[in-house]
Amino acid sequence: MENRIAEHPILGVPEKGRKVTFTYNDRQVEGYEGEPIAAALKAAGLMVHRYTKKEHKPRGIFCAIGRCTDCVMVVDGKPNIRTCVTPLKEGMKVQTQYGVSGKPFEEQ
Amino acid sequence: MKRYDLIIVGAGPSGLSAAVEAAKRGLKTVVFDENEKPGGQLFKQIHKFFGSKEHKAKIRGFVIGEQLLKEADEAGVEVVLNATVIGLYQDKEVVVRIGEAVHHYKGDAVIIATGASENMVTFEGWTLPGVIGAGAAQTMMNLHGVKPGNKVLMLGSGNVGLVVSFQLLQCGCEVVALVDAAPKVGGYGVHAAKVARTGVPFYLSHTIVKAEGEECVTGVTIAEVDSHFRFIPGTEKHFDVDTICLAVGLSPMSQLLKMAGCEMEDNPKRGGQVPVCDEYGRTSLAGVFVAGDVSGIEEASSAMIEGRMAGIAAAEYLGYMDKEEMDRNLADLDQALDGLRQGMFAPKNRGKDIETTDEGIPVSKNLLKHGFVADEEIERFPGVTHAKGIHPVMECTQNIPCNPCQDACPKHCIRIGSNITALPAVEEGSECVGCGMCVASCSGQAIFLVDETYEEGYASITIPYEFLPLPVVGEKGDALGRDGSRVCEAQIIGVKSIPAFDKTNLLTMKVPAEYAMRARFYKKG
Repeated sequence: MENRIAEHPILGVPEKGRKVTFTYNDRQVEGYEGEPIAAALKAAGLMVHRYTKKEHKPRGIFCAIGRCTDCVMVVDGKPNIRTCVTPLKEGMKVQTQYGVSGKPFEEQ
Repeated sequence: MKRYDLIIVGAGPSGLSAAVEAAKRGLKTVVFDENEKPGGQLFKQIHKFFGSKEHKAKIRGFVIGEQLLKEADEAGVEVVLNATVIGLYQDKEVVVRIGEAVHHYKGDAVIIATGASENMVTFEGWTLPGVIGAGAAQTMMNLHGVKPGNKVLMLGSGNVGLVVSFQLLQCGCEVVALVDAAPKVGGYGVHAAKVARTGVPFYLSHTIVKAEGEECVTGVTIAEVDSHFRFIPGTEKHFDVDTICLAVGLSPMSQLLKMAGCEMEDNPKRGGQVPVCDEYGRTSLAGVFVAGDVSGIEEASSAMIEGRMAGIAAAEYLGYMDKEEMDRNLADLDQALDGLRQGMFAPKNRGKDIETTDEGIPVSKNLLKHGFVADEEIERFPGVTHAKGIHPVMECTQNIPCNPCQDACPKHCIRIGSNITALPAVEEGSECVGCGMCVASCSGQAIFLVDETYEEGYASITIPYEFLPLPVVGEKGDALGRDGSRVCEAQIIGVKSIPAFDKTNLLTMKVPAEYAMRARFYKKG
C-alpha cells in the first residue's frame, strides 16, 4: 500500500478502521473498514473505475465528494454506486463498470 | 409535515455558525447536510488560518471545525446527516431525501448555506483517471490518509491551488509545476512563496494543452498563452506526471434559491449566479436567508461570520429578539467581517491591478510572476531589516488581513498597528530573544529569525518547517533560496518543536554569513 500516508507532519498517523479484504474484479484487495471504496482503490494504485457507455473511455476519481459521479462502479451487484462516498465493508464485491453493467462490453 | 422555527441547509462553517446563534436564542433549529459528516470543507484545511484573534487566526482549519462542532452540540443544534435537500418550495417547504425516502418539512425561516462547487476546465484528455479536482486531492490526503498521486501538476495559482500544492508536498508528493493561464499569481504571495522555496517552478501565462495517457494520466503538456489566452506555438513543455490537479475557482451552489424564486444576479465578483441579498443574508423572499460561499465566494473565516449574522437576523425575523437587540448583536460581527474584507485581496479589489502597498512600496513583480520575492526586491519591505544579534525578518509584502505575529512576540518587537492589513515592521529599540513564537505564529510561514553574526563568518537562520522526516541537529544539507534553488551548504544547529508552535517546527541552520539574507529553506543533502 505505497499510496498510504504513514505519518503526516500535521495530522500524525491517520486513524483508520479495521483492515478488511474486498474483491476488485477477480482480485483480492485490502482496505480499511469505513473508508470510501475509492480511497482503498486509490491506495492500491487502481485508477480506472469504469468505462463510458458510448465511447468506452476510462473514468476514475474526479471530485471525491459524491458530486460528479465519475467514480461510479458496480458494488455488490448494484451499478452506479458512488465509490467516493460509499464506505468500504469486509467482503464487498467491487467491479469495474462498463456502461451500466459489470460485464465487459464484448460480453454484453 | 414536520415544522421547525429554522431550517438550515448545509452543515459547513456558515450553516453551523448560523445554527449556533439561532439555537442559543431558543429557535427550534435543524441542519440538513448531504454528507456523512458535518463541517463541510473545514476538516480538509490543515493550514493555520489568517486574520486576527477574533477570526481564530493561526488556528488550523480542522481545529476550528472541531470547536464549531462542540459549540453546535452545546447549543443543542440538531444536525441530520446523509440528508440531501432536493427542493425549496412556496411557504418555505423543504424537501429532503434521507436514505430511500423523501420527507417534507416546513421552516418558518430558512437559511441556505450550501457553499460552492469546484469549477472545471476542459482540455484534451481531461476526463482521464488521474485528472482530479483540488478538493479531491484534499479529501484523499487530509481526510483519508491516501496520497492523491506521486508526481502532480497543479493548475491554478489562487489560494486553493497554492495551499493544496503545499499540502501535497507535506504528504510526500512531488509537485512538478504550478501552472496558471493568468499572468499573475492569484492567491496570497506568502502562500506562493512557501511553495516556491521548496523548488516548485511556477508557470504563469501557461495552461494545459493536453493530458496524456491511455488508461490513466502518464504525462501532461503545457504551453504559454498570449494576452487572449491563445497558445503560443513552440512554447510547449512536457512533464511526466500521474496526477493533474485542477484548482480553477469555485461557483456558488445557489440552485435551491433559484428554484425557490429568489431574485438572482450574475455577479463575477461574487463568483457567478448568486442571490440578491443584504449584508445579513436577507434575500428577496421574506424569511429566506443565505450565508457563506453560496452568496459569494470568500474564505471560511468570513463564511462563519456571515453564518452568525444570518442566524441572528433569522431570530429577529421570527420575533425572538427586537431590532435593537439584533443591532447590538450584529455590531461586533460587522466589525470582524469588515476587518477580513480589507487589503489587496478584498472582494472589492478583485480584478484590480495593485502596483503599490498601502505603505507606498512597489509590490514585488517577481512574486506575481514566479511565486517568490526576488533577492533584490526583499529589502524594501519594512519587516526586512538588519540588526546585531538575532532578529526577526518578516517577508510579508502584501496587505492582507492578518496580525498574529504582533501578539505572538513577548517582547513586542513586531508592529502592525490597528489596521490589520498593514505590513509588519520591526519595532525600533525592541530586543528579540529568539523564542521563535513569531515564526510559528505566521500563517504564511513568512517570518524567519536571522543572526547575521552568529559565529565568525557564519549566520544562523531559523525557518518554519512542516515536513517529515524532521532533520536532526548536526546533519548537513543544502540551503535553498526563495526561488528553491541551492544557494550554499547548511548545517542544522537547532530543531525546536513545542506544543505552542502547533506542529510548525523551527529549524535553525548555519550558513556562510554572506547568504544570511538569501537562504530560506533547507533540503537534506
